[in-house]
Amino acid sequence: MKNPTPLLPSTRREFIRYGTRGIGLLAFSRFAPSFLVESVAAEAPPAEKDRTILVLVQLAGGNDGLNTVVPSADPHYRRLRPTLALGPDQLLRLDDRTALNAACAPLHRLFQEGRLGIVQNVGYPNPNRSHFRSTEIWETASDSSQFLATGWLGRYLDNACSGAPGEPCGVNFSNEVPQSFLSEHAHPTFSFSANGRSGRGGRENLALLEGMLRAHDGGAPGADNAGYLRQTMMDALVTEKRFQSILAGYRAGAEYPSTPFANSLRHVAALISAGVATRVYYVSLSGFDTHANQLNTQHNLLRQLSEGLAAFQRDLESRRLDGQVLTMTFSEFGRRPSENESRGTDHGTAAPLFVLGSRVKAGLHGDAPNLAVDRRQDLQFSTDFRSVYATVLDRWLGCDAERILGHRHPPLGFI
Amino acid sequence: MPPESLASLSPQDAWRALPAAQWDEAAARHLLQRLGFGADPAELDRARRDGPVATVQRYFARMPELPKPRLIAELEAAAPEMGRRIAGGDPQQRRLAAQDARERSREALFDLTIKWLQLAAQPAHGPAEKWLLFLSDIWVVGVQKVKNSALIYQHQDILRRHALGPAPQLAKAVSRSPAMIVYLDLQQSRRDAPNENFARELFELFTLGEGHYTENDIKQAARAFTGYRQRLGQFQFAPRQHDDGSKTVFGRKGAFDGDGVIDLVYRQPAAGTFLPKEMVRFYLSDTPLPEAYTDVLGAAWARTGHDLRELAVGFFSSRVFFAREFRGGFIKSPVHFYLGLVQDLGLSVAPLPRQVIGTLRQMGQMPFDPPNVRGWVGGRNWINSATLAARRQLINGLLQPLNENALNGDEQIELAAAYAEGVRHFTLDPARLADWARQPAAPRARLLAQRYLPEIVGTGLEHQLAAYLERGGEHGRAEAATRAALATLLESPGYQLC
Repeated sequence: MKNPTPLLPSTRREFIRYGTRGIGLLAFSRFAPSFLVESVAAEAPPAEKDRTILVLVQLAGGNDGLNTVVPSADPHYRRLRPTLALGPDQLLRLDDRTALNAACAPLHRLFQEGRLGIVQNVGYPNPNRSHFRSTEIWETASDSSQFLATGWLGRYLDNACSGAPGEPCGVNFSNEVPQSFLSEHAHPTFSFSANGRSGRGGRENLALLEGMLRAHDGGAPGADNAGYLRQTMMDALVTEKRFQSILAGYRAGAEYPSTPFANSLRHVAALISAGVATRVYYVSLSGFDTHANQLNTQHNLLRQLSEGLAAFQRDLESRRLDGQVLTMTFSEFGRRPSENESRGTDHGTAAPLFVLGSRVKAGLHGDAPNLAVDRRQDLQFSTDFRSVYATVLDRWLGCDAERILGHRHPPLGFI
Repeated sequence: MPPESLASLSPQDAWRALPAAQWDEAAARHLLQRLGFGADPAELDRARRDGPVATVQRYFARMPELPKPRLIAELEAAAPEMGRRIAGGDPQQRRLAAQDARERSREALFDLTIKWLQLAAQPAHGPAEKWLLFLSDIWVVGVQKVKNSALIYQHQDILRRHALGPAPQLAKAVSRSPAMIVYLDLQQSRRDAPNENFARELFELFTLGEGHYTENDIKQAARAFTGYRQRLGQFQFAPRQHDDGSKTVFGRKGAFDGDGVIDLVYRQPAAGTFLPKEMVRFYLSDTPLPEAYTDVLGAAWARTGHDLRELAVGFFSSRVFFAREFRGGFIKSPVHFYLGLVQDLGLSVAPLPRQVIGTLRQMGQMPFDPPNVRGWVGGRNWINSATLAARRQLINGLLQPLNENALNGDEQIELAAAYAEGVRHFTLDPARLADWARQPAAPRARLLAQRYLPEIVGTGLEHQLAAYLERGGEHGRAEAATRAALATLLESPGYQLC
């Protein structure tokens, strides 16, 4: 039979080429015989040696910044936190005025080795103290009063992602697809659950299923829920087989702690070292909403975070991939400077964030928070979070930050 | 007659009951799918005879009872003793006692989850239990923080008892729910140190929505809820921890207590529109209705004293509910998907927590364990490569005979008890599969399509299905081919939607 449309790919090369023009996989796979889909899935495209990768780590719930990066020499710290202030034996020195929570010992080592940067007191004007709204503001990079439908990484993908089949632009380890990934155009993304699992393969009814997917073809892929389902299923089928075999065969170059968070990072390292074309990874660690009895809870979480990140960095170093990867944390807000009466802290505003990698300019960036506030006041941010994003977009991912953020935000010195 | 479109309905007319001429099989199927978890054939027949208003009234006549599950009762009974063990003794023993308490609470939660799923799976109870799921997705508590499953059961029971009454009564009862007192830190909220967590979520996520209160309203309202305590699952009011001074909330000044603040909340117009908007999101569409529509419903609902039964009956029998825009195309939640499969395949919920609850968790919705205080966002958030893989695994599990040898001892005991009560099919009945497999491929394809995906009957897809069954028959694998064809139908986009 002659091709009913010039769009019909009949060779593997054509198939990939159509994919790289940014048409969602399904847009052409409904014309494509399944052997082509599978042959593309089975074969890894050549890895780009110099591409940079961003790993975004969400600390969900609002991490208490003042007990993470501690203004240890500031007398206000102890005044505001009579029971929660960390003592000298619970701190690791960064400079004369600043120390890390001792739970972050592995990160402290990376700081001393020149691989960890800390951007202090990051926030935005007119802060919102709702978890959901403030997460949305961070993930969409909006103003406090502005509602955006797309995420900052989604807009980056709209501008930069080529979308090869079986090669998702973004991979997330969280139970929901992060808002950061939401985009104007559909891009293949792949989700692992927060514990790093995805389903198993093994299907004899693949051809019939592909038939069903084709038959349910309504309008443009992704335009309605049926289209969205169809596209997600097709993309997932292709990617799943490939990823499962990568993860199963991975020998890590460092020992990871046995936490779900570290396991997710181990998977990220496996995919990076397999040369998967994904540019952005998103990993989530939750439980930071410490309204009561904060000390132990936060200590455990920071330890999980630090141990996981350090293992990940060592693993990448052992494979000489560390120069390609930048890891950055964020949280929807910091917490109130003064502790509450439940040995916890309530929703606040600005907080520090970590940037980790061998090409990071290590040290403290931006100004420390001013703690001369009364008991009911909040911190005033000194660095806008969009300046952090602008730095990452401009100097790491190599694209026009102003186009993605809508405004010019002065970049920072951490890269 | 094709369904009318939303655009053809004025906001005034939109909430009137569906005209009898519009009530056909497709409309009845739509009602049962959205209101409950599936379109059971017997329920469908009865609904078609009764009409939409009488059908909804019947489902919302009263809430079903969920008797206290055995392990929840045992957990409650053991609470004082466990509390003593955790408080006293040497650190090692205290640690063991705390671990023991966590373990028992977890087992009790499994018991509760299975019992609830078994109740909700009954077609006649589906709509009321889905309504309860909706309310618990508004008035959220999560077991991760509450930790004690007995409080989780009690919270659901509070919602159940107030599910069809006035919303302000429900709100007041929830503010006294021990689970809520723990979940949103009222337990720690004192006269000289009010904790804002509950007051904030009361306004933002439970009753009004963002933009309808000020930060100061929250601070003042938090003072009104000081002194709310729970001890061993009993609400207690601690007058000396309660701030009985004057507060200004929503511009009104007075020495309000918590109930007083809730009464003020329900004088806000936003309290009338908030829940209807949430119903649209939970039952109808990922896209909000134009405000003109919810404004009309909100005002009408406020005039009933915010009566939940009146809201439910009005909403679910309205012309809006049956509008063309809302037919099909709505993504089933994992609980809906699971209970729908159980009903559609003629099964019972297996008393096997490890399998049943594990599957729900992988699909992204473990009952009583929402991701956070907003509950589940739903819509396309349910669907990604990991959750789709979990949906597929569930289907395959339900279509294969249960491997009873792989079960642990407790599970086998549970199963034996269920068999003794006459419950039979936890997975597809092999006799039914064999019956199907004896039919020729074309009628078999039609039968499967008609039963599980009526929208594809008569399309090219039905023929593909028949061709697939035909090929399977050639290889003498008719049963295996039928099972694989059914799995494919259930896995396809159409079955994920309702």
